[in-house]
Amino acid sequence: MVKKEVEKLLKKVQKPARYTGGELNSVVKDKNDVKLRYAFCFPDNYEIGMSHLGMKILYSLVNERPDAWCERTFAPWEDMEALMRENGVKLYALESGDALDEFDLIGFTLQYELSYTNVLNMLDLGGVPVLKKDRTSLTPMVIAGGPCVCNPEPMADFIDIFLPGEGEEVTNELIDLLIEHKEKGSTRLEFLREAAKIQGVYVPEFYNVDYNEDGTIKSVENLETAPEKVKKRIISDLDSAHYPKNFVVPFIDVVQDRTVGEVFRGCIRGCRFCQAGFIYRPIREKSPEKINEQCRSISDATGYDEISLCSLSTSDYTKIEKLIPMLFDWALKESINVSLPSLRVDNFSDELMEELKKVRRSGLTFAPEAGTQRLRDAINKNVTEEEVLRTALKAFDGGWTSVKLYFMMGLPTETLDDIKGIADLAQKVVDAFYNNPNREKGKGVQVSVSCASFVPKPFTPFQWEPQDTGDMLIEKQKHLLSSTKSRKISISYHQSDTSVLEGVLARGDRRLGDVIYKAWQKGCKFDSWDEFFDFSKWREAFDECGLTTEFYANRRREFDEILPWDHMDYGIRKEFLVEENKKAHRSETTPHCRIKCSACGANKLNGGKCDAGSKKMGNGSQNVL
Amino acid sequence: MPEVKKWAMEVRMSFEKTGMAKFISHLDTVRCITRAMKRAGVPIWFTEGFNPHAFLTFAMPLSLGFESLCETVDFRLTEETDLEDLAKRINDALPADITVKEIYLPTSLPNDIRWAEYKIIFNNPDKILLDTAESILSSGEILAEKKVKQGRKKVTKEVNIKEHIKSFELNEENNKLILKTVLSSGPSMNINPMLLIGALVKDTETDSQDVDVIKIQSYTENMEIFK
Repeated sequence: MVKKEVEKLLKKVQKPARYTGGELNSVVKDKNDVKLRYAFCFPDNYEIGMSHLGMKILYSLVNERPDAWCERTFAPWEDMEALMRENGVKLYALESGDALDEFDLIGFTLQYELSYTNVLNMLDLGGVPVLKKDRTSLTPMVIAGGPCVCNPEPMADFIDIFLPGEGEEVTNELIDLLIEHKEKGSTRLEFLREAAKIQGVYVPEFYNVDYNEDGTIKSVENLETAPEKVKKRIISDLDSAHYPKNFVVPFIDVVQDRTVGEVFRGCIRGCRFCQAGFIYRPIREKSPEKINEQCRSISDATGYDEISLCSLSTSDYTKIEKLIPMLFDWALKESINVSLPSLRVDNFSDELMEELKKVRRSGLTFAPEAGTQRLRDAINKNVTEEEVLRTALKAFDGGWTSVKLYFMMGLPTETLDDIKGIADLAQKVVDAFYNNPNREKGKGVQVSVSCASFVPKPFTPFQWEPQDTGDMLIEKQKHLLSSTKSRKISISYHQSDTSVLEGVLARGDRRLGDVIYKAWQKGCKFDSWDEFFDFSKWREAFDECGLTTEFYANRRREFDEILPWDHMDYGIRKEFLVEENKKAHRSETTPHCRIKCSACGANKLNGGKCDAGSKKMGNGSQNVL
Repeated sequence: MPEVKKWAMEVRMSFEKTGMAKFISHLDTVRCITRAMKRAGVPIWFTEGFNPHAFLTFAMPLSLGFESLCETVDFRLTEETDLEDLAKRINDALPADITVKEIYLPTSLPNDIRWAEYKIIFNNPDKILLDTAESILSSGEILAEKKVKQGRKKVTKEVNIKEHIKSFELNEENNKLILKTVLSSGPSMNINPMLLIGALVKDTETDSQDVDVIKIQSYTENMEIFK
């Protein structure tokens, strides 16, 4: 419940329903009935945070326990933050209205590097000391999970415990342990010593990092009860893993406001630029019956009129031909739309194509990622131009008239010819439309090219690669614009400074903690939002700490350099990544996991099991878009 | 050929929107109620256009920040339905601060709304407001600043809203100033209570945002309760 003094503030802010709580299916318990209170914090605004599936899963997982209560907290927008600071109102969790400093466990999900300053800001607003060393009591214990935790080092000054990997099991184990230690009256250190023994728990203060004179890492030493390498957690069987029976239904429009069915985790593709493709391995599928049942339950409990399927490269789901008719069977009767993201249309039977036409269709999206075959081979995006055009043609036959093409700029080995290739490919899609006699008459085609800047990430074959400088990227952007001739093609690209910061934080070490702290003190927050991002403040912070962005972003690392995340074990073997890197420089591809296992090593996390190995490809292995 | 009716009943649902629900905007309220109907399995009639959607008609949108005891929404049912049971089902599917009062067969049209009664609570009125409110309300001219469009520009215009105030009653309770008033409401002429509040606090130190507004009742031309 929102407190009276907060209610007054709400009359003065935009979108007050961000801060009220009380949404349908939100869970309110009596704080006197629970042994542990958990504030799940999403370090971005309500609309972004409420769209996040991981939060929904962990929220319902914790609230299923009678002895714990999980609440939600988001970063307040600047108008609300100003009023809160002015009136001495602490950041509160939406269900109880209680300030963060009243919680036992404060959990952040680190989904992207540019949300780091918001973590600091939220702790500060919640009355919790920002620096770990200033928190001396057992609670609140500040933990963090999410993909960025594969290199947690830049955030090591602020977080007590990182949870690499999937959170379902380890969250409950950690809650059990914290309840036990609260009851025993343990100290913070006593608790951390026990916590570090759990697989998938990384206690950064139990690791000592030494640096060489050139700034690279000399050694990492594990102390106390901490293991030499922290192995990430995974859920072995997704069918029996916890999944919410309902979602909290926001009052205001949020980014993803629909039923989400998670179909699998992991990815078979092995695109060399893609961190998600490696850190979520091995691939594990859910059964269509289970997905269907879960979608049904959530749709019934929320009243949502849309279902989307969620995974990396969803069309790689081996049972999609079985799942779609199951969903359509009840969803269409109830006027519920089923949207299918990132699908390979060419892989579909004509029957399924007909089924898909029944629902409102969204745009058609391809991600060739690179403009030329040579570069696509280097990044292992196994898509040929012919496949893109064939699929586009099939879609144009089906009545689609707008196509989105996603590319990246600044990829390793990229030249200006590869950039021109982006414009050429877009032009060929336009031509394919006009050369198609079956196209929808009286309509033009719209090809939207969206170019992201490539940022090398840990646990990918490109983790050693230098990132393009801002100037290099700007030159490439100009070249792309000048290579584009048709007005049917629209080009959009990403601001390059944010990519620099993202790259620095992604591959940074512990010394960046000072930089992040200083940047936050200078007012940096919501760095992923153009209207807030202020690179000059970050530059000042780097200067004051005697560090450079170039060291972290633009330097080629040697294969034998100790990387800041080397003591994190994500299953993927380093030798495999080295081999993949070398193949990239030879523009050699690696077949996806269902064609041939590349022995990445991730299956050892699951007792040698991997769903890629035992499955047969549905439609032959050539359709790999 | 006579038109074939594709629905069985046209009904009106009255509901209260109180507490934290005052911070839900009109459009968000529409979506919230649509979803509640879906959860409750209401046999609601959908439009038949290219993009079929549940057909809901709200009598008057309520401003963000106001509470109301008299909201209504009209919709059509594809089959004969027990309305008392329906009201209960929808209520169970709604968040706590939106409460169904009744579902009934309407006797008037949303266009018949002419007046609305509001309770306006000034939580921290200063002395000037307490001293002047009565005389401002009783005077022949009550000037309010209204934002109007002039071509493409938005300009502030002073308008006399005296004739749109049908009645008023002032009371002081626990250091709060409570104004009950009936103002013009409806599709042809609508006076937002914020206009009147602005006119009253204009020359005072009272914070116009530290005011609670509760819509009590909608009336037709001759002050019959809108049903």
